[in-house]
Formats: sequence, structure tokens, C-alpha cells
Amino acid sequence: MAVTTYSGAEQYNFDIVKKFAVMSLVWAVIGMFVGVYIASELAWPFLNFDSPYFSFGRFRPVHTTSVIFGFGGSALFATSYYVVQRTCQTRLISDGMASFTFWGWMAIIVLADISYVLGYTQSREYAEMEWPIDILIEVVWVTYLILFVGTIMRRKQPHIYVANWFYLAFILATALLHTFNNLAMPVDLFSMKSYSLFAGTQDAMTQWWYGHNAVGFFLTAAFLGMMYYFVPKQAGRPIYSYRLSIVHFWALGFMYMWVGAHHLHWTALPDWTSSLAAAFSILLLMPSWGGMINGIMTLSGAWDKLRTDPIMRFMIVALSFYGMSTFEGPMMSLKEVNALSHYTDWTVGHVHSGALGWVAMISFGSLYHMIPKLWDTKMYSQKLIEWHFWLATIGIVLYIVAMWISGITQGLMWRSFDEFGNLQYSFAESVAAMMPFYAMRAIGGMFFFTGAVLMLFNSLMTIRQSKLENAVLEAKLAAKLARA
Amino acid sequence: MSEQKLQSQTVQTTGHAWDGDLQEYNNPLPVWWVYTFYATFIFAIVYWTIYPSWPFGKGWIGGLSDITYVNSAGETKTHSWNTRALYLEDMNKAAVEQKPYFDKVTSMSYEQISRDPEVTAFILSSGKALFADNCAACHQSGGQGVVGFFPNLTDDDWLYGGSYEKIHQTLMDGRRGYMPSFSEVLSGGQIDQLANYVASLSGLEHDAAEAKAGDVLFHNETAACYYCHGVDAKGRKEIGAPNLTDGIWLWAGVAAAPSGEGKVAAIRTVIAGGLSKGVMPAWAGRLSPEQIKVLTVYVHDLGGGV
Repeated sequence: MAVTTYSGAEQYNFDIVKKFAVMSLVWAVIGMFVGVYIASELAWPFLNFDSPYFSFGRFRPVHTTSVIFGFGGSALFATSYYVVQRTCQTRLISDGMASFTFWGWMAIIVLADISYVLGYTQSREYAEMEWPIDILIEVVWVTYLILFVGTIMRRKQPHIYVANWFYLAFILATALLHTFNNLAMPVDLFSMKSYSLFAGTQDAMTQWWYGHNAVGFFLTAAFLGMMYYFVPKQAGRPIYSYRLSIVHFWALGFMYMWVGAHHLHWTALPDWTSSLAAAFSILLLMPSWGGMINGIMTLSGAWDKLRTDPIMRFMIVALSFYGMSTFEGPMMSLKEVNALSHYTDWTVGHVHSGALGWVAMISFGSLYHMIPKLWDTKMYSQKLIEWHFWLATIGIVLYIVAMWISGITQGLMWRSFDEFGNLQYSFAESVAAMMPFYAMRAIGGMFFFTGAVLMLFNSLMTIRQSKLENAVLEAKLAAKLARA
Repeated sequence: MSEQKLQSQTVQTTGHAWDGDLQEYNNPLPVWWVYTFYATFIFAIVYWTIYPSWPFGKGWIGGLSDITYVNSAGETKTHSWNTRALYLEDMNKAAVEQKPYFDKVTSMSYEQISRDPEVTAFILSSGKALFADNCAACHQSGGQGVVGFFPNLTDDDWLYGGSYEKIHQTLMDGRRGYMPSFSEVLSGGQIDQLANYVASLSGLEHDAAEAKAGDVLFHNETAACYYCHGVDAKGRKEIGAPNLTDGIWLWAGVAAAPSGEGKVAAIRTVIAGGLSKGVMPAWAGRLSPEQIKVLTVYVHDLGGGV
């Protein structure tokens, strides 16, 4: 690693990066705990305690919001503020606005989680927050956009680094998606309840235009931005191909917008809309892989580091899962494959191979790179990083394998006919058949969760260690000054 | 590996550097990536040709593949690929296999069905899914019911009768079990006496003196229980009034009560409060006549049919 540490509160606003980085890990632990809890509810239903406050329906959005927007979102705020400052060689244009995005974003997650448990929801997947929270998101997000664009405009570099394109695409697209999917009319000014402006199939279409592009721009483009900075930094090598990064950036941005309807195969959606989306999903395969190729080829000159550097391992595993799930996705969006996979746990497994394998692993890798730099020290324990890596990797594999088996079993059971032309299985029988795989999935989740707890502990100890080191340093300085 | 190193020495970077050491090589697009990207375009075009794809005017361009199906009027139709036609085609396939069996079920008497192993096997197979999807939510997956809510279908105790004809009638028209509340008609003491009497009918622990007084109330016009439950308290199936002498309790939580006093109290709750939750929905119109006949035989054969 070249020496690039600018330790200066004067030059960059690292305070905001630190806040988001720590909260990212806190939300990871909270969100993954709730995830493990609801996975356990499916395997051992007594955990519902016959109370609406503990039910799967209310906890599920708490899990998704806490991990996607709490953990993932905070990791993106942290890394985007870090990357944009360092690659533009300039400070964020406003500390006040940065601070507002932090407190605003934290308030959003807390309010959303509480409102779900109390039973408030728009019933739109990944956009469950009711209208008052949506308005707060809008304000925070526009602030984020202004802050990010303003900082880029004030850059001291002639060119905008590739990571920033991806971050900017993510911020812009998310603003658009959030606005249009949440157009709703409140019942009255003092009611949390609202009704969508769209109805029926159009409503579903709007929701999945949002839902899939949230995956595309929030969970893919943005984390590719993270990848484009932290992978070459950690490997100490240049990005493999500038040309590939341009081509796949624009292809990805163009193709993604068409594919949302593949979530609505075999529904009331018109058939032409659904085949259009299926074919665009196949067209999306290579643009998605462009990012994986660029990442893996960048790492490929530094394979020897894989043996010694667990952070590199997080990154390579993240890129592998990214490649795998962006291959699996287009396959599942073909109508005939979807006829088997739709409504089954296969979908759940697919989402988690992307969410745990790609999003979480690249975030872990990037945060492990960034945290010691922010606090100007070394990670407290290298061994705990190793442990985290193996716990997370084993957890993902258990999770995905369980969901593949249970999903395909469900799909096959639901469509099988016996020799009389009767359905062979009742729905309840397919539920009973899932039991061992639900238990296996919950255990996989526990592994992953344990890894995240180790990371939070390791990071907090790193921060503590940095403070101790600084205290010792200051004491020495003071002693020197006293002698002089 | 060595090839990689060679390449990185020969390929130029773009000449920019960010944050100290961040640079980009200017490698060309990988050839396999470009060709695979082209191949996906060919795939997309083929896919759009097979399936309905782009909107056009007020409609859309239908795909080249088509589906032949039989519509509800029994006419055979061919249409360019669409999910509705595909659904009908799939359902047709299953219906063709089921038809000879359903024809037999419709034409045969219950007596004949019970002696035909092939038709019985068909009924077990189709009845299983029909029961699980329509009946098991209340009567449970094995038909064992829930005490206090839904009758057990596997024993030979029937509220409305367990013959094929009675089960069929129950399925077609539904049932509505009702018992009036006696809390305003009788005094608390009188309800205690009745509860003791009812407990005595099936040999449960009771207060003999109270039961004797209850016997009188049961059979005179004060409580007039005998109207529905019969002079012998063995119930009247034509109105769904249960037998009180057989030791089977659907509504009163007798089995769950630990003590003799608790059991009498459980009976007392029903007499005082009455009942209006014994609702079985009507299935005529929701299931086809042959499906209801299949379920009739299936439920009869769960073990308790008479």
C-alpha cells in the first residue's frame, strides 16, 4: 500500500464518515439479529408468542429496513463521503448538511422500525414506510444529492473517478424511485395511513419498478462504487479496464430500468410486459458482469495477498457472489424458470446470495480497510477478521443451499400431479416439508450474525485503541515540551 | 499470472491518478464479454419473437408460438402464447385424466363406490387435496377437529348424522349450530342444578341432590332442555342438538378441566352463555357437485361414517 494517509480534520470531513461507519455496524447487528429471529419464527413458530408485536409480518420489514437502509445505507453514506472527498481532493461542501443527513437518516430508520412494529405499513416491499417518514427521506436524500454533487463540482482533480459515477447514479436513481413509488394520499393530516395514487396492476408495476431498481441502483450500482475504490486500494493495483467501466456503467444504467416487471410474471400483468422484462433481464447479464470482471481482474495480479490478507478475501468472495447472483437473476426471470421459482424460497435464497454474499461482504471488506485509516491505527485484531470471514462465508453457504433445496422442493411439490390428474400434495404438506431447511437457514443466519457481532466488537476496540495511542502520544509530547 | 504481469507492463494507464495511487489501465473490453453481450441480444430478439413482446398501437405484437386449449364452452381454440391460454391448456390436461373417474363418481351410488377399489383410490387421492385446501383449516389436517370450535370428523359421533346423505347435505348447505343463553331465564342456582344433572348423564362427578333438581328442570317447561336434546338427552340429529350422555364434549371444556368441579363449571358456562359459533359454511357453488360428492365419501371414510 502506498502511503496516502491524509490525517487532517482540516482537509477532509472524516467525522461524518466515522459516525456513519460505526452506525452501519450497529444497524448490521440489529438488522441481522431480527433476521435470525424471524427465520427462527418460521422454523419454530412458538417464537411468535401469539402477539402481533412479535409476528413475522411486522418484524420482516424491521429486518429489511435495518439491514438495507440501516446497515447498507449507512455504509454507502460513509464510503461515498470518504471516497468523494479523497478522489476529488476536497472537503464536503457543508458540514452542517452532512450532519443533517446523518441525524435525518438515523431518525428515519428508527421511526420506520417503530412504526412497523406498531402495525403501520404501506405494504410496498422495501418501501413500507408511511408517508410522514417518506417525506423525511425525500428531504434527507435531496440534501445528500446536493452535498455530493456540490463536492464533485468543487473537485481539485480534472477527472471524476469512476466510483463517483456509480455513487451519483445511485443517489439520482434512488431519488427518482423513492418519489414516484411513494406518491400517496394521506387519509388526513394527522393519520399515518395513506392510499397509493396508483391502482391494481399499475400499482404493482410501479412498486416493482421501484423494487427492482432499488436492487439495481441501491444494492448494485452503489456497492460497485464502493468496489471501484476499495478493491484497487486494497490490492494496490490499478483498475483493470477504464473502457469496460464506462461501457458497463451505461449499459447497466440503461438496462436495469426495464426489468422490474419480471417480479410480476404469472400475475395479472400483461404478457407482453412480462416477456419484455424477461429479455431485458438477459441483456442485463453482461453489463452486470462487467463490474465483476473489472474487480476480479484488478485483484488478479495480487492473488498471493489472498493467503495473508482477509480483507482481500472478503472482496473476492463478494465479487464471486455478485457474479453468481447476477447470473442466477436473469435465469430466474425467464418465464419458464420463473414458473418453478416464483413464490418459493428460491427467491429468498437468491436475494440473500446478493445481499449477504455481495452487499454485506463488500461492505465488510471496505469498512475493514477504511476504519483503521479513519482512526489512524491498525485493526484491533487480525484474527477476529479471519474468524468473521469464515463465519460469514459458511453462513451464506448454509443459507443459500437451504433455500435452494426448499425452494425447488416447494416449486416441484406445488406443480406435481398424480396418476389421476389430481394435485399430489396439499399446500400444508409443502409447508411441513420445509421444516429442516428453515432450521438450516436460521443456523446459517446465526453464523452470519455472529460474524457481524465480532466485527462490531473489533471495530469498537480499534477505536478505543486509537484513543489510547493518541493519549500516549500526547503524554510523550507534553513530556518533551516540559523538558524543553 | 506471468501473462498478467506482462500485460500490465505493456498496457498503458489512462494517465490520471486519484488519491495518491488510484489509477486505471486502459485494457480493451474482453473479447468473450463483447461476444456474449451480442449473443444476449440475439437471445432477446428470439425470445421476443416466440412470446408476445412489444406494445403496438392499442395492442401488442403476439409471439410466434401458439397454444391450443378448450374454453369453458367446450370449443377448441388456438391463440398466440398467453398465460390465460396456457393455464386452460394445463387445466385441460388434468381434467382429461380426471374425467373418467369423475364420471364414475357422478353416476355411481355411494354403495357402488364403496365396493369399487379404483374409484375409492381416486377419491382418496383427490379428496386429500380437496380436504386439505378447503376443510383442514377448521377440522385440522387429519379431520380431528378442535375441542371448543370444530367437530371431530373421525369418530362416529355426529351432530347432524354420519350417513353419506347427511354428510352430503352438510357439505352442500352448511350448518348453523345454536343454543340459547339461559342466564336471563333461569336463576344461578337453577343453572348449577342443570349443570350437575348434565354431568351425571355421562357419569361425571356431581352433586346428587343438585342433579336431581336439575333433572326436573330439564324435563319441565322451566328450562325445557328436552325440546332439543330429547327426553332421554341423547340429542336430536335433525336439528343438530348433541347427545349429552356419550361423554363426548365439543363445546364445553370438560376434558381440559382438571377437577370434577371444573367439569361441572365448564358445562355451566355453556348453559349460561349459550352458543352461536357452530357455523359450517355452505360449499354448494364454491365446489363443483362432483367435488362435493368426492368429499362426502372422503369424510365418510375418515373413520366415522355410518
